[in-house]
Amino acid sequence: MKHDDFAAQLDAYGDGELMGNEAREMERHLRECAACARAHERQRVLRATMRAQLPALTAPRELRSRVRLALRAAAGVTPARPRPEWRWLAAAAVLVGIVVGTWKITDSRDAANAVVDEVLASHVRALMGTHLTDVASTDQHTVKPWFNGRLDFSPPVYDFAGLGYPLIGGRLDYVAGGPVAALAYGRRQHVIDVFLWPTQRGSTGGPPAVTRQGYHMLHWSAPDYTYWVVSDLGVTELGEFSRLLRQADSTAAR
Amino acid sequence: MEPSQLTRFEAAVLPHLDAAYTLARYLLRDEHDAEDVVQEAYLRALNYFDGFRGAGPVEGRSWLLTIVRNTAYTLRANRRPDAHATEFDETLHSGGSEDEHPETELLRAADRETVQRALDALPVEFREVIVLRELQDLSYKEIAEVAGIPVGTVMSRLARARRRLERAIGAATKERD
Repeated sequence: MKHDDFAAQLDAYGDGELMGNEAREMERHLRECAACARAHERQRVLRATMRAQLPALTAPRELRSRVRLALRAAAGVTPARPRPEWRWLAAAAVLVGIVVGTWKITDSRDAANAVVDEVLASHVRALMGTHLTDVASTDQHTVKPWFNGRLDFSPPVYDFAGLGYPLIGGRLDYVAGGPVAALAYGRRQHVIDVFLWPTQRGSTGGPPAVTRQGYHMLHWSAPDYTYWVVSDLGVTELGEFSRLLRQADSTAAR
Repeated sequence: MEPSQLTRFEAAVLPHLDAAYTLARYLLRDEHDAEDVVQEAYLRALNYFDGFRGAGPVEGRSWLLTIVRNTAYTLRANRRPDAHATEFDETLHSGGSEDEHPETELLRAADRETVQRALDALPVEFREVIVLRELQDLSYKEIAEVAGIPVGTVMSRLARARRRLERAIGAATKERD
């Protein structure tokens, strides 16, 4: 072998990819050739520096749960989620309440938790099945009128496509004891579900931000509408999206 | 899919989530994109799982990384057709020729930011062989499988990528001192 052949194989030698005879010949050449010996040493230092300065990364915790949940949904395996026992307790309490007459069934915090469960369950069901939208359109002027006659309110529908949150469509859903509008917006491959109903209907309580099973939920009650926004999108971007919604609402109210 | 098969799938590929994320992150240089690509890759992997016959965890890693790599390339091609053009073109930015080498001491003294920047500036096909070799310790044969290139190309690409890194790191470290 000539010098150039050895030089071309220096990286492979340093990576431990030369075997038997090839490795022995390279070792002999390195003892005889000062240029190759220097190059070999330079490569050794570069390799050490790279490994010392560039540690392999750790995936965010959130990504792990997101991936697992997506896999379960795709495989059609129901997430192992404890049945909310309180539903039965609440049902029993209703009976007792009827009998005794004056029992307060659930306090407001339980009611808010129930809404969190319902919103999340609805979002996950919509993603797992084929029923993400009843009306699929990126046009707000198609989606908004679709709710006419289906709801006793006309939900505000916005077009944020220019800001990277295109409208996907809308569907009817049932949350907090009444029909609600569910609007789906997109962000890259993510789906954001927006649930809303008139604030005057009630069920306005709930935590402003909560994370369950890798999904983030943001909640607020404006004078007109009570909102729940849910997605597996990162919480920063979901917050940005919520601000857009609020701004659009307050602009529309003016 | 049977729950037991999902469990088998998860056992084969979930341990490699960090490796998948590392590769996606370095290929795309964006954490949001990396997360999306990893999730998409796992879903694709689930679809192909029937065709995957490797049993051991090591085979599972190359197999998964191959899918991550291809998913990342698809995203790049779809979303950022100009990505190639905006990457650092060394032939324009550096007057140095292939025969010039920096002092070994300059490489030894390089800090994290310098190394990171030099790697990020590499064209993606060089970046991926470096990440697979130096950060994930894959053999040439495994890199060939993941990147879909012959072993000989792995060797020459790694060599060229390292010469570029040496020059970039050497120049940056010299400037700093």
